[in-house]
Amino acid sequence: MTDPAAPAPTAAVLRRLVAYSPWRFLAAAVGWTLFHLWPLLPGVLGKLLFDVLEGRAAPGLTVTTVVAVVVAGGLARCGAIVGATVAWAGWYLRARGLVQRNLLDRIFRRPGAQAMPTSVGESVSTVRDDSDAIAMLGGWSFDTLSGLVFLVGGLAILLSVDAQVTVTVMVPLAVVVLGAQLVRNRAYRVRERSREATAKVTGAIAEIVVAVRAIKVADRQDEVVARLAAVNRVRGDAMVQDRVQSLALDSVFTSTASLGAGLTLLAAAGRMRSGQFTVGDFVLFSTYLMQVAGYTGFLGYLVRTYQQAGVSLARAAVLLQGAPPLSLVDHHPLHLRSAPPAAAPAAAPDEPLRGLEVRHLTHVFAGSGGGVRDVSLTLRPGTVTVVTGEVGSGKTTLLRSVLGLYDRQSGEIRRNGRVVDAPGDVLRPPLAAYTPQGPTLLSGSIRDNVLLGLPDDGRAEVAAHRAVLGPDLARLDAGLDTQIGVRGVRLSGGQVQRVAAARMFARDPELLVIDDLSSALDVETEQELWRGIFALSTTCLAVSHRPAVLERADQIVLLKHGRVLAAGTLRELLDTEPEMRLLYGRAATEEGVTVPCRPHE
Amino acid sequence: MTRPAPASRGRAGPVTHATLLRTYLGPQRAKVALMAVLLAGSIALEISEPQIVALFIRSVQLGSPEGELIGVALLFIGIALARQATLVVAAHASERVSWTATNAAREDLTAHVLGLDMSFHESRSPGDLIERIDGDVNEVAEFFSSLVVQLLGNALLILGILGALTVIDWRIGLTFAAVTVAGFVVLGRVAGIATGRWEDDREQSARFFGSVSETIRATEDLRSSAATGYAMARFHGHLRSWLPVKIRAEAWGSAIWVVMSLVFTAGTAFAFGYGGFFFQDGTLSLPGVYLVVAYATMLTAPMEALRQQVQGLQQASAAIRRIGALFAHRPTLVDGSLALPPGALSVRFDRVAFAYPRAGGDGPDARVLDGLSFDVPAGSTLGLVGRTGAGKSTIAHLLSRMYDPVAGRVLLGGVDTREARLRSLRSRVGYVTQDVHLFDATLRENLTFFDDTVGDDRLLAILDALDLRPWLDGLPAGLSTPVSAGGLSSGQAQLLALARVFLRDPGLIVLDEPSSRLDPATEAMVERALDRLLAGRTLIVIAHRLDTIRRADRVIVLDDGRVIEQGDTADLLDDPGSRFAELSRVGTVLR
Repeated sequence: MTDPAAPAPTAAVLRRLVAYSPWRFLAAAVGWTLFHLWPLLPGVLGKLLFDVLEGRAAPGLTVTTVVAVVVAGGLARCGAIVGATVAWAGWYLRARGLVQRNLLDRIFRRPGAQAMPTSVGESVSTVRDDSDAIAMLGGWSFDTLSGLVFLVGGLAILLSVDAQVTVTVMVPLAVVVLGAQLVRNRAYRVRERSREATAKVTGAIAEIVVAVRAIKVADRQDEVVARLAAVNRVRGDAMVQDRVQSLALDSVFTSTASLGAGLTLLAAAGRMRSGQFTVGDFVLFSTYLMQVAGYTGFLGYLVRTYQQAGVSLARAAVLLQGAPPLSLVDHHPLHLRSAPPAAAPAAAPDEPLRGLEVRHLTHVFAGSGGGVRDVSLTLRPGTVTVVTGEVGSGKTTLLRSVLGLYDRQSGEIRRNGRVVDAPGDVLRPPLAAYTPQGPTLLSGSIRDNVLLGLPDDGRAEVAAHRAVLGPDLARLDAGLDTQIGVRGVRLSGGQVQRVAAARMFARDPELLVIDDLSSALDVETEQELWRGIFALSTTCLAVSHRPAVLERADQIVLLKHGRVLAAGTLRELLDTEPEMRLLYGRAATEEGVTVPCRPHE
Repeated sequence: MTRPAPASRGRAGPVTHATLLRTYLGPQRAKVALMAVLLAGSIALEISEPQIVALFIRSVQLGSPEGELIGVALLFIGIALARQATLVVAAHASERVSWTATNAAREDLTAHVLGLDMSFHESRSPGDLIERIDGDVNEVAEFFSSLVVQLLGNALLILGILGALTVIDWRIGLTFAAVTVAGFVVLGRVAGIATGRWEDDREQSARFFGSVSETIRATEDLRSSAATGYAMARFHGHLRSWLPVKIRAEAWGSAIWVVMSLVFTAGTAFAFGYGGFFFQDGTLSLPGVYLVVAYATMLTAPMEALRQQVQGLQQASAAIRRIGALFAHRPTLVDGSLALPPGALSVRFDRVAFAYPRAGGDGPDARVLDGLSFDVPAGSTLGLVGRTGAGKSTIAHLLSRMYDPVAGRVLLGGVDTREARLRSLRSRVGYVTQDVHLFDATLRENLTFFDDTVGDDRLLAILDALDLRPWLDGLPAGLSTPVSAGGLSSGQAQLLALARVFLRDPGLIVLDEPSSRLDPATEAMVERALDRLLAGRTLIVIAHRLDTIRRADRVIVLDDGRVIEQGDTADLLDDPGSRFAELSRVGTVLR
């Protein structure tokens, strides 16, 4: 078995990407190759013109013929450009889309809350940027090919004209260009410095803008601007040095045309006097030398593209998490002409819930050692089980492990007595639905977020009502159809939480799983939400520390340091567990309830 | 140390390109002139290069000795090197000019923005402002440093080439001028359309990746809602609508190359045709033909570069417009002239009404405070109680004059806040907000807000008074230890905020108590600190916990911007019929 995170071999990836849309690729390859080879033409034609004028050309060739070839060549080039671009765009977007599709598919298959092998930001960047670098391999392949043909062809033509001059000009020129390239590679240290200085300036501005109120209150406007001025100066100096240095290096490359022409004149001075080297030959040389600068840049680009693709493939392999590396480029339909067929509605449960048993469930976080250990509990149909405990006692981890949003490390979950092997694929709608503590909504309407693809048959309204969204919706201009997210309204934390609750209710599950609602909801709204849940008489597993909820729970599971300290009704726990008395007492003071030692009946 | 922003110099009229350029480039006139001279020099050198080759060809035809030919070749190489050197020096000058100017603009803009009212800041997202101060100014920097040099350089180069061609033969010059003009017109049209198409493409791309990154972030929600299929369908939908837009954008983008290709082809065809026929009828010599061909070849590159730079110019001028618009915003709070009295400050709200300005500026403003009156004697402590939205924070904002009341007066030590000097007011009123803003800087800088005139002994004294000395001694670099928002507990942050305020020796402290729970040890530290440092100061505390309220001499219960109850804390607590006593039993308003 190879290392699971080993990147796919570049050549194999390229082959399968090409095979995804081979004709488009071929059209693009032919077009771009012609495009790259075209610069060979003007030099030859220039030489031909002067040969005609000096009477050295083959008989029958006239100025008119040369001009006609120039025009025909130019028009052909235009055709190649348009055809190649369109074919390339079509191929590129498909190849990149395929990579993105496969990455997303993989991300969606993993336990939803499990820490990704990389941060979310990095995963997003892999799907966005690395897919681009991988798809660019396609362009790289024919660019490299045509670049080589151009180089070999150009050199062959020059050598055939005058081998001695070619060598005399090309060798020193190559040394200068290679040397400059080496220096350029080292120059990144200055680049790094200016980048750091820039980050400091951006950071300082961001801090100031975010802290406007604090700065105004403290009346320290001048001081913070002075601080900005200091980092600004450092950045200014670094940038000037960086820019001038890279410009000086660039000028070595841009001057290759002139230097080469000068060297040609030097090398050919004697041979031109004797007529061995003609004006036409000089025109050919100087025209080709104009390409040298462009091509050194181009070769650098080819190397970078290839290296970048390698790095990107490695990053993508990490995100694939053990799937065969080449599954990154598995062929799947991209549905570019019409919408994909709607997924079949999820099957209704084969039999109603009779009981959910959690046995010895363990999920411990590698770094901190936090998590839950050896947790067992039983949910009976129609009852409300409340998980409570201090901050960091493992309440959220317990919910997520039960739902398969974390990989459980040991223990088992049984539904109606039968072991559930992959809770992540089973304990989800319509069997179970979940309201996380910090839900993430998608851009779109509130309705879209509640339904997430379910048929719009009035269930969104019912669910929104259950989630106590009514008064909020009434205040929004478009109610349920209000757009939220980047282009729309920004919802408060409490509203987000209730939209997530509505999303849960809309799925009409037989088990409701609800993380702590109190962090973003005010007491009254939360209580109204809970009244609805108790009225539903659906089985419910929830995290809460609200006295009112604890009092009505059929069962309380008290967690401490990731283990079950005790389970039972509030009365039982208040009698036996000092920890429960402490938590309940604190929660009650926080809400201002004059503290009783036990709930009043 | 910073120049006053152009807008605040009291100059009449709007902030325009011209005023901005005068303000920031004016002081660097000499450097700008040097830059222009160097630029013109390098272009003259570039145009002279083909002339040297022509001289070489002529010398060959005349059969000059090899030594002379080599001399001409060396002259050619010398000119090429001199040209590059000139360019680098010119670039250095232009970078300097550009960074000096834009750094100043960045600082002025920041100072200007900091001087604007809170109502301005509340209507803008911080991201938006960062984009103005950083993004737009950077674009202008880019424009000054490289674009101007290249833009002018390429324009001059094209004119020089056309001039040189005209000198060879006016018909050739005229033809190439026509080709150039036609090329530019068509190029401008095509590029205009292409830009629009690229914008469409960028929009699709942003939508596509926005959606992708959202769905990745929402994996937990999507998995637990059995909605990953829905997310994939969204992905396919976005990709589907992007494809045609992308292809259209690429096609129009390639049309620019097509036009350039046509211009190049036309130029080469004309050069070959004119050169060939004029040579054959004896109008041109062989070196003359070489010059025509060489200049024609030189023409295409600056044309394409010039087109891109004109586009850059348009972007930069949009950025300049946005910067100008930001400078044109004026603060509406007018500074007063009175100083607040020393010592503890009395506070009086006299029939104060307030409404936050609406973001769009239209629609009726909802009154947050309505005819609010109350008094706080100097040196006493007042507790403010009420549910969210009752107007507690608004009172704090009015006290630190973040806003002015719509009606009525706020008096501090008998001085109307509108008549007090802002400097004096803000140094005498300390406001501790719920969330403490920490800068990514050292502890010292965070305490002093970058005011390096505050001595360490004063800082240490304050930290002593706050019982923070043991904590400080545990820090690796003492006061110079870098702190950041994530590195401190909320209790520690709260204590630092108190230290910041006490450093200024205020006569009134407004404390917005954090609603989240501090750990008991920190809470006790805060309590002790307040006891020790409050002597001789007035305190208004927006309270969330019963303990805090008990320390207040008087309590005001607010609802909907009005006082519904006030009195001595003890009296109110003892009166079972009072609203306050009821609230402290039910407790909900304390949250």
